Amino acid sequence: MKNKVILLVEDNPDDEALTVRALKKSKIINEVVVVHDGVQALDYLFGDGAYLNRDLTQMPQVVLLDLKLPRLDGLGLLRRLRSDTRTKLLPVVILTSSNEEQDRINSYDLGANSYVRKPVDFEQFVEAATQLGLYWLVLNEPPPRRI
Amino acid sequence: MSGTVLIIDDSLTVRMDLTEAFEAGGFHPIPCSTLAEARQVLTHGPVDLVILDVLLPDGDGLEFLREIRECASSQAVAVIMLSTEADVKDRIRGLQRGADEYVGKPYEVGYLVARAREFLRSRRSSPAGSTTVLVIDDSATLRDELTRTLEPAGYIVLTAASGEQGLQVAADRRPDAIMVDGMLPGIDGATVIRRVRLDAALRGIPCLLLTAAEDAGSELQALDSGADAYVRKEEGAAVILAKLAAVLRAAVSSKPAENTASLLGPKKILAVDDSPTYLQELADALRGEGYDVIPAHSGEEALELLAVQSVDCILLDLLMPGLGGQETCRRIKATQIVRDVPLVMLTAMEDREAMIQGLAAGADDYISKSSEFEVLKARVRVQIRRKQFEDENRRVREELLLKQIEATEARAARELAETRAALVVELERKNKELEAFSYSVSHDLRAPLRSIDGFSHALLEDSADRLDEAGKTHLNRIRAAAQRMGSLIDDLLNLSRLSRAEMHMQSLDISALACSIAGDLQKAQPERQIELRIEAGLWATADPGLLRVVLENLLNNALKFTSKRDSAHIEFGMARGNGTPAYFVRDDGAGFDPLYADRLFGAFQRLHAMGDFPGTGIGLATVQRVVHRHGGRIWAESAVNHGATFYFTLSEAASQGESCEK
Repeated sequence: MKNKVILLVEDNPDDEALTVRALKKSKIINEVVVVHDGVQALDYLFGDGAYLNRDLTQMPQVVLLDLKLPRLDGLGLLRRLRSDTRTKLLPVVILTSSNEEQDRINSYDLGANSYVRKPVDFEQFVEAATQLGLYWLVLNEPPPRRI
Repeated sequence: MSGTVLIIDDSLTVRMDLTEAFEAGGFHPIPCSTLAEARQVLTHGPVDLVILDVLLPDGDGLEFLREIRECASSQAVAVIMLSTEADVKDRIRGLQRGADEYVGKPYEVGYLVARAREFLRSRRSSPAGSTTVLVIDDSATLRDELTRTLEPAGYIVLTAASGEQGLQVAADRRPDAIMVDGMLPGIDGATVIRRVRLDAALRGIPCLLLTAAEDAGSELQALDSGADAYVRKEEGAAVILAKLAAVLRAAVSSKPAENTASLLGPKKILAVDDSPTYLQELADALRGEGYDVIPAHSGEEALELLAVQSVDCILLDLLMPGLGGQETCRRIKATQIVRDVPLVMLTAMEDREAMIQGLAAGADDYISKSSEFEVLKARVRVQIRRKQFEDENRRVREELLLKQIEATEARAARELAETRAALVVELERKNKELEAFSYSVSHDLRAPLRSIDGFSHALLEDSADRLDEAGKTHLNRIRAAAQRMGSLIDDLLNLSRLSRAEMHMQSLDISALACSIAGDLQKAQPERQIELRIEAGLWATADPGLLRVVLENLLNNALKFTSKRDSAHIEFGMARGNGTPAYFVRDDGAGFDPLYADRLFGAFQRLHAMGDFPGTGIGLATVQRVVHRHGGRIWAESAVNHGATFYFTLSEAASQGESCEK
């Protein structure tokens, strides 16, 4: 079976590069698809806009989602995903700079599966990426398709 | 005004006299000759007033008074003692047992009825609803005529045949309007109206002047006297009724205060003289004028009586055995509750010296005993009127002052509330701003640091072969700086969050908390020799999360500043020396220069070189913030290289006595 993709929703190119590098360093071989805001993420997930003809049977293994995004922000996107039967159970990990209590509460309230704070120290970032990959791509059993 | 008056007296004459007078005054009198009869009446229903003799065939009136005061259904009834036993001692006994008034025999029947009315008026908050009109005219024909005009229109009509009698009735009955004839024997109508206008309690009553004259001057005369309107007698009933209705309408808005004592109401005079003969003459003369007179035979008696009985005027002989007039006067004028009662000094001596003596002692007036009683009566009247005006002026001044104070207080309260509301709004705005600020710090300030660190790391890995050692050192320094900046931001956000976080106070074992934190810290540095001494059984009332922050910071500091020693001694406990008991954390590390102790708790303040002991300089600022939020205090003692002790309290209650040591 072909490895499923990881969808990274990140508008900061530096953070994008560092996240991709950290994932690579933690030996994660899944393809990383990067979109830069919430609207693009919706296009990808529901086959619209630039992703009009995408094969929708292939959903990402996990979505890594930043909170501060242009157009539709992280929490807005999460709300839309949880209200659509196709993405209701899609694993979403919040990956953000903030550890504000309010952000954490809102994220979990809206149905985030996990909340990870991006550390400043790159080595810690790699460590976090490794743990994420191990958990979401190896250990975690995804929900059965189509409920 | 009607009311049931129980008259208890064994003298038939007195019973008949009083029954007649009270009936004429519109009361319902019930005469009894014995206490047994009176008890019978009281069991049948309530009475409004009791007139009680002291010596009765079947018992003592004072005993009966006690019975009345002890019985729940009758204890509030007004009681007037009426007795020949009217010595000062008897009066004091009666008043102390709860009599409302003590009148001596021979009595003035008009005074008794007037007093009865005053009692009943003060006991009834709302007088009868219908409108009462007093008609004063010397012609019986005209009185009847007016009564026949007014009564069918729904008015209750009172009549008086002279100006003097009219004023008396006005004071007693407080009519809603007065119609007075201009031409009267004795004082004329205009004078009656002027007197009404001078009386605080009566001046609001509208007055109509009745006149027979047709000349234009009569109207002027009426208005000059202060009448609200004038009516020519030959005008028809319709005109009279219309004018009366008009003045009543106009007067509705300015009703006089019900509780104001009337200048013309019943007055009580205390006469003090050592000569029984003169006292008797004086009392008779004044009773004839409608006053109630209490005779006292010495200054001592007078002072004793004044302690329980209020009077309206005091007549005091200057030359008496014992205390003497001058000293009695001085004592009266030095006593708060009676100092304002008008006092007229009496003396047999007709010289300047005596007058000066009397006035020097504080008397309000002075009169020679050789003067005619008419002069004396006039002086008394003047003094009582003066007192009345003073009272009234004072009351008006006090009311004005009170209103001013109330207005000022209301304004102050309003301003305070406005200021407070503005402050709350401002505070909320500031808090929101602060939250928005820390939110954006949290999100945006760390991202560039991540790039600096991440790409430095990438450079070190990807281009290691093209970098010499110096280049690698530079990059590592860049990374260290970025990470330190990250910690600073985190600590600052933490500090700001602690200041805003809600507190949930609970009682907790602070010893156990210190133990667990110190244990964790020790485990992180297993290679170090650390001796921990933690006093067991200390409790605190605090927010558990915030208290953990305090202990973590203080214990962590203790470990940090002993890191250069071979072995460290760290202690947590409670200091119970002089002053408030305080928790403390003590170490035997580097310590600090006490000169800089005041800088310890400021954010970003560091007393040690970064290379010696790492840190952001926010830890103690955070600790202080938490301690202050608990209402406690924090301070430190130290000397360089002799360790440091940090003391803190968590509110007064939490750090006092047994509550800390369960």
